[in-house]
Amino acid sequence: MNKLKVLLADDEIMIREGFKRLFDWEAHDCEVVGEAADGMEALTKIDSLNPDIAIMDINMPIMNGLKVIQMARLKHPDMAFVIVSGYDDFAYCREALRLQITDYILKPVNYEEFGSCIDNLKIALFQRSAAKNDVPQEEERTIHGLTRYLQEHLAEDVSLSVLADEFHLNPQYISQLFKSEIGVNFLAYLTNIRMERAKSLLLTTSMSIAEVSEQAGYGDYRVFTKVFKKNEGVTPSQYRRDFLTQEM
Amino acid sequence: MLRMEIALFLVIAFVAFIYFSTEKERTALHRTFAVLLIAVMANLALDGVTVYTVNHLESVPPLLNSLLHRLFLGTMVLVIYLFYQYIAILVEEETGKPRRLDKPAILFLAAALLGNFLLPISYTITPVGNYSDGPYMLVPYAAVAFYLILCAELLIWNFKVLEWKKKRAIGVALIIMFTVSVLQGLNHTWLISGMGITLMTLSFYLTLENPEDLKAELVEQKMSMLYLKSQVNPHFLYNTLDTIRIQAQLNGDKPVAALLMRLVDFFRMSIKVDRPLVTLDDEMDMLDAYMELMCTRYPDLHYTCDVDPELGEMLVPNFILQPVVENSLLHGLKNKGYRGEVSITAHIMKCHELHEDEAVKEHGSGAGRLISERKNGYRIDDEWLEICVRDTGSGFVEGRKALVDAMLASYAKQPPKLTGNSIGILNVQKRIKLLCGRSYGLSYTENEEGGVTAHFRLPLMEDNT
Repeated sequence: MNKLKVLLADDEIMIREGFKRLFDWEAHDCEVVGEAADGMEALTKIDSLNPDIAIMDINMPIMNGLKVIQMARLKHPDMAFVIVSGYDDFAYCREALRLQITDYILKPVNYEEFGSCIDNLKIALFQRSAAKNDVPQEEERTIHGLTRYLQEHLAEDVSLSVLADEFHLNPQYISQLFKSEIGVNFLAYLTNIRMERAKSLLLTTSMSIAEVSEQAGYGDYRVFTKVFKKNEGVTPSQYRRDFLTQEM
Repeated sequence: MLRMEIALFLVIAFVAFIYFSTEKERTALHRTFAVLLIAVMANLALDGVTVYTVNHLESVPPLLNSLLHRLFLGTMVLVIYLFYQYIAILVEEETGKPRRLDKPAILFLAAALLGNFLLPISYTITPVGNYSDGPYMLVPYAAVAFYLILCAELLIWNFKVLEWKKKRAIGVALIIMFTVSVLQGLNHTWLISGMGITLMTLSFYLTLENPEDLKAELVEQKMSMLYLKSQVNPHFLYNTLDTIRIQAQLNGDKPVAALLMRLVDFFRMSIKVDRPLVTLDDEMDMLDAYMELMCTRYPDLHYTCDVDPELGEMLVPNFILQPVVENSLLHGLKNKGYRGEVSITAHIMKCHELHEDEAVKEHGSGAGRLISERKNGYRIDDEWLEICVRDTGSGFVEGRKALVDAMLASYAKQPPKLTGNSIGILNVQKRIKLLCGRSYGLSYTENEEGGVTAHFRLPLMEDNT
């Protein structure tokens, strides 16, 4: 897997330095290729450096981060954006989701925990490229088969050994495959797609939390709530409430 | 006629009494009104006295009679001047434009008073009553006309920018002044100046100087001061702290970075007050951040918490634990040099009516109250969430426990706390009662081995909408 190119856009030098030096990019197969201190510079650097990931502050001079994303999207539809913001505010969060950003993290950034965000990005990038190659003409690549199976059987009890039985492969090999093709380990991938499923069910259906939990593959909805809170920062019901009640 | 003057004097004296006993802001407007009230009382008193003397011309020495009349009209001119001044200050406060006509107004007042004491006076005797007359009577009419014009000018000039309530008050006062002057000018024996002045004073009193409004104004001002104090732009605060944290981490100082992270966490969580109910987990997260910081500041301070993970999703009113813990620290452990322990426990309490005695013994006064309330006809659930904040501090000082109990019991009658820095346990009590119902709330018990325990009694509300 190639190294992912990362652009950092924040008007505060200290925040950029923190990202650059306190997070182990090397270990996550990433490389910071550029920095920008305002919205205009960010847009220019996106065009010239063509990064895979842009980490973007919302409140920047000249042009705010959301506007940058909106404009960059036109030319770079596959790029992954992460919003980093001190505005602990769902109005921004909703706007950001509308722009199909990949992740949203709040300041203060805990650099040790930033790795899970990078995992999410890798999965998103993988899924985007998988969706593009969705023409089912030739022999499907193994990893696509595996991920498709996971999507279809998410509500069931899926695990490495289930996958191994189903695809007649060595569990060790499958784990390796996830690491090399997507760049994340199997469990991180599974949790990610479970959370995505849960989020979409929470916002598009009126299922109860217990039902959503079951659909997302969690037998015990208390476990589900805990995992959800850890990943999204809010409980499932709060997530639904924040998005649905403030819509008007 | 004397009866009317006495009645009017009593009315104004009563108004003055209420006005002076009301706590209010000390603005130029309110001070002017206070002076006005005193001048009106003097005027009404002199009014009554002259009504008597003018009808007993034979028995009262002429010099005294003339002096009293001149004093009476002098105070009347002063009152009219004060009315003008009051309206001018009101307009100035409202529009922000400085008063321009102060000089002519005060010059006219001086000229009028001079005229009042120098111009000749005479008395007219009629069957329905006597009245004073002569050139000196020009003074009050001229004063009314002059100040009426000034006020009308102020009103018309600022008509659009004035608040409706104030326009009305000024307008009514001017109409009263005008009508009364015309009527008095046409019927010399009516002697109704006192009535006009009283009505005008009352119209201002009722609309602009109402004690309830003044009190509300004062409370609002104090509240906004308190609010401002707590409103250092939060984003500035935690963005700056975060920058410092990153610098510390870049310098390799992990403990400092971790502490700053906790501080930023605490601020961020305490700013999120938009939701009245939060999960117990959220509330505990904030308390953890707070206590971790406090324990670092005071290494002999220890903190334990034992909350059943099953209860994490229970909904509790926002921001109830931290103020109570802070209270334990400041009033209990501080006296012991912050040497001791705060422990938090949370569990579901059950009460079985069948084992009434046992329940009372087991759960102390809390359960006892539950049963008695049920007898009084309150509907109470058999289960509730109990959170205890137990400290090993110095405990209540002699008599303090009773005070705290009384304050928490009569929470509804207590005025909102406007002094000090903390939200306070009273506020916590009020919010629990408001959000959860009257049968829930906060109470204190004393520990046998020292220190106090705060008991929260909360309904079982689960977050699974």
